[in-house]
Amino acid sequence: MAQMTMSEALKWVADLFEEPLDNINPLTSREEIDAWDSLGTLSLLAGLDENFDIRLPIEQSSAFRTVGDILEVLRQHGQLMNQ
Amino acid sequence: MAFIDFQEKWIVVTGASSGIGRAISIELSRNRANLILIGRDHDRLMETAASLGSSSHHLLLLDLNKLSTINEKIMELSRSVGRLYGLCHAAGVVETRPLNSLKIDGFQEMLDLNLISGIELARTITHRNVAEQGGGSILFISSVYSHVGAPGQVCYSATKGAISAAVRSMALELARRKIRVNSLSPGLVHTPMTSAAMGLLSDQQIKDIEDAHPLGTGTPEDVARAAAFLLAPQSAWITGIDLVIDGGYTAK
Repeated sequence: MAQMTMSEALKWVADLFEEPLDNINPLTSREEIDAWDSLGTLSLLAGLDENFDIRLPIEQSSAFRTVGDILEVLRQHGQLMNQ
Repeated sequence: MAFIDFQEKWIVVTGASSGIGRAISIELSRNRANLILIGRDHDRLMETAASLGSSSHHLLLLDLNKLSTINEKIMELSRSVGRLYGLCHAAGVVETRPLNSLKIDGFQEMLDLNLISGIELARTITHRNVAEQGGGSILFISSVYSHVGAPGQVCYSATKGAISAAVRSMALELARRKIRVNSLSPGLVHTPMTSAAMGLLSDQQIKDIEDAHPLGTGTPEDVARAAAFLLAPQSAWITGIDLVIDGGYTAK
């Protein structure tokens, strides 16, 4: 899969949590995303695995606080273009 | 005379290579059942076989997701061992997955293994050329999630709830041939399968589930003893039931 642009990655996160794209930016916190609860964390883990072959331990994904933390993982795994 | 004695009758056990299926195999063998052990992993099936008592057994390597192969394989085996008395369908998969990340293919695979392969096996072993003429016993391993819900278990609950419903109808249909059909619904039992499913949960979430069992979590052997009881020829007046063994999980 080709590397995503920042806007594609934000759309991926928005779709995952079923949030309007306008509500999602790197600074958006977990508390601002209604669907990002413990089940949402499982959805995130499944989504990262199935779409990007990224397997994270639950402890790591539970520690995420912002959308930026998700983007950083995508970047570290070569799925997000460096700006 | 022992309360439970299978008198060297043949029983097919699926999921026999580990966890609950393995424990049931050992318990049935201890009570003089002859076994056809079904699993996908030869080495692990051999490990189960090595733990059995002196009763006879056959190993059958079979991928139960390949539904169209089940009937032929069992028919073939029954021609060599003779008529079959029972079935214990312990094979199954569980996955914790929120509804919004559900994948239809994964759900279909779970349904095929947990439910449809069991029904196909039941169809095969109750064939008039295969089943013992004096009657028989079929047991499905269900789950407390056929009775109560849990977040992330939509698909698993659906497969297990369907088992309980199918068991009641199957019991009525087969009663006139003295073939009994029941299910067991265990609470949390630590097995390789449940450990894999819980790998996605935090330590606190796992502790919360464990704490919800007043008697603590169960062992495969707890389930195996109940399975032997329901499968045994001596439980001749029990059919169409679902026996919950959950350390009190659903009593609240």
